Amino acid sequence: MAPPPAEPRRRRPPALSGLSRHALLLPTLIITALCFLIPLGLIAVYSFGTVNQVNFDVYFGWTTQNYRDFTSSLYLHTLARSVFLSVSTTLSCALLGFIFAYYISRQGPRAQRLLLVAVIVPFWTSFIVRTYAWVDLLQNFGPLDRFARALGLGGHIDLLYTPYSIGIGILYSYLPLMILPIYVSLERIDPALYDAAADLGATPFRQFRRVVLPHAVPGLIAGIIIVGVPALGEYVIPEILGGGKTLMAGNLLADQFLQTGNYPFGSALAVTVMVVLMAMLFLLRRAQPEAELQ
Amino acid sequence: MTDTDRLIDPLTRSELLKRAGAGALGLSSASLLAAACGSGSSGSSSAASDVIAGQAILANYPGWMGKNNLADFHKKYPQASIKMISNATSSTAEVVLQFKSRQYDFLLSDTSDSGQAADAGLITQIDWSKVPNVANISEKFRKAYPWGLPTDYGKVGIAYRPDLIGNATITSWHDLWELIPKYPGQTIFIDLERDCMGSTCKYLGFSSNTTDPGELQKVQDAIVSVKPHLAAFKNTDVGAGLLTGANSMVMDWDYDVALLQQKNDKIKWVLPDEGVHAYLEGFTAVKNTSKIAVIEAFLNFLATPPQYADFVNTTGTAYMMPKATPLVEKTISQNPILVPTDAVLAKTEFDKYLGGAGATLWSNTWTAIKAA
Repeated sequence: MAPPPAEPRRRRPPALSGLSRHALLLPTLIITALCFLIPLGLIAVYSFGTVNQVNFDVYFGWTTQNYRDFTSSLYLHTLARSVFLSVSTTLSCALLGFIFAYYISRQGPRAQRLLLVAVIVPFWTSFIVRTYAWVDLLQNFGPLDRFARALGLGGHIDLLYTPYSIGIGILYSYLPLMILPIYVSLERIDPALYDAAADLGATPFRQFRRVVLPHAVPGLIAGIIIVGVPALGEYVIPEILGGGKTLMAGNLLADQFLQTGNYPFGSALAVTVMVVLMAMLFLLRRAQPEAELQ
Repeated sequence: MTDTDRLIDPLTRSELLKRAGAGALGLSSASLLAAACGSGSSGSSSAASDVIAGQAILANYPGWMGKNNLADFHKKYPQASIKMISNATSSTAEVVLQFKSRQYDFLLSDTSDSGQAADAGLITQIDWSKVPNVANISEKFRKAYPWGLPTDYGKVGIAYRPDLIGNATITSWHDLWELIPKYPGQTIFIDLERDCMGSTCKYLGFSSNTTDPGELQKVQDAIVSVKPHLAAFKNTDVGAGLLTGANSMVMDWDYDVALLQQKNDKIKWVLPDEGVHAYLEGFTAVKNTSKIAVIEAFLNFLATPPQYADFVNTTGTAYMMPKATPLVEKTISQNPILVPTDAVLAKTEFDKYLGGAGATLWSNTWTAIKAA
């Protein structure tokens, strides 16, 4: 009896020296430094400067005046409004996104593909064009207004250029970004788990609470981060749908760079918004492992 | 009294306009024909066309150029062209930052913008010997706008639809402020620091060039008090909502209302009793631009009556070149909104550059208004 053929020995890649391993990291480090660390450092440095508001030259006297200015009720009110608007629209996105994602994940493969394409299709149109489309939809004497009047609701809807229209714009624009990560989480659930839960006597609600929801949490948190972070700094949607009336932190920040020319104060605003965001992300990161452990 | 001061002096201004009107009526057909052919002073530029080359970049208000101005210029100077970048700016600082950005060769800017840019050393003075057609622009406007070629001016008043506000009559800024809360979400204010705050200065009985911090605080309070009831602040298509009925009252520019009235005769224009704020603007070259020859050739070209008339007919603005009157559409040249009487001019106050401290105060007040 012939001996079994010897298993071919898998050739291990040659070990990289420490220097080579570090060399491989170099491109990433350079890009990170050039595109993220240096600009962030510059913003931090600028936030302690002052500006000549005639010629807009910036001087670095290392003053904390810009941060003190920000603590005036006027600007804190704007930041609070931004946080409220972004949190409420993110939660609305999470609720609607979960419903959509759950519905899609429970369909057959063909229907799932079609529904996912339907979610992605709006991205084929320019973001600006989609946002301007809401101006026509929401304005008085627009389609929604006419529909409301046809239903006999009386008066005008008066939605455009209000915080509600900004909320609708953010919800519409970011909803697909919420649906996709939640769908990915839900799609991974083994169908046998539903059967097992049912066999063990779980009601549909209990199945949802003990099986679906825990599996969806990583996707939900990813969606909340993807939607919540840009929503807090959102500039375009409030600009178009807010009518220059409802200033959010993103607009206030952009105005300092583009309209007022006060780069140091704008930088202080940017640093403050970043700190708020990092605090929110830190809280979410702390919530994530606990959820995954359940 | 400086020349700039003379421009904003009502008597001097009315005298100027009377003379301008008389000059327009006295134009000979020969000079008109010559102007229509683009000759006259610009004729000398044909020899220079060989050396005028390159593309100058202009930052301009959207649509603020004659339909054929740029194409005609390129025809006359095949090696030169103007690339226009539309930019609806809303503050003096924004325009001055554009002067500083090195992205443009020349800009549309008003007296406040150009005054501050000049103060900051950010402009190139035009060599007027290369722009002889500037003589076609009324002298007082040239002197009031010494940084470049003055192109247009306009007043900020009120446009409204009586049929949408219970046939109420508006005659003053005070009436507007009274009506805004009664018709919430129906009023648009101009999203431009000088025009919006300047008009509010008039409402409160202040100069629209005030630099008094106390007065500006009252201006801020007055705008913030009605802000919750406003539909929006806009700097383009300001009065468009009057056509559809989406808005019933608008703080608006005269030229915009003149155009809107051609589409809807229910729109009324009001020069408020308390007075109006007005702007004067033109094209100014950026410091160290390498395209100064192209810019000067273009300004000289634009200052010929046919080209200037194209600019006026397209934009619908009040104009400052009497020689262009026969070529300007009658809806503009005979429009009482755009051709102000002595009485109107008597209550019109033009923009002035407020100096560094004044500009900063206005800028900070505007930021506070928008953030409130």
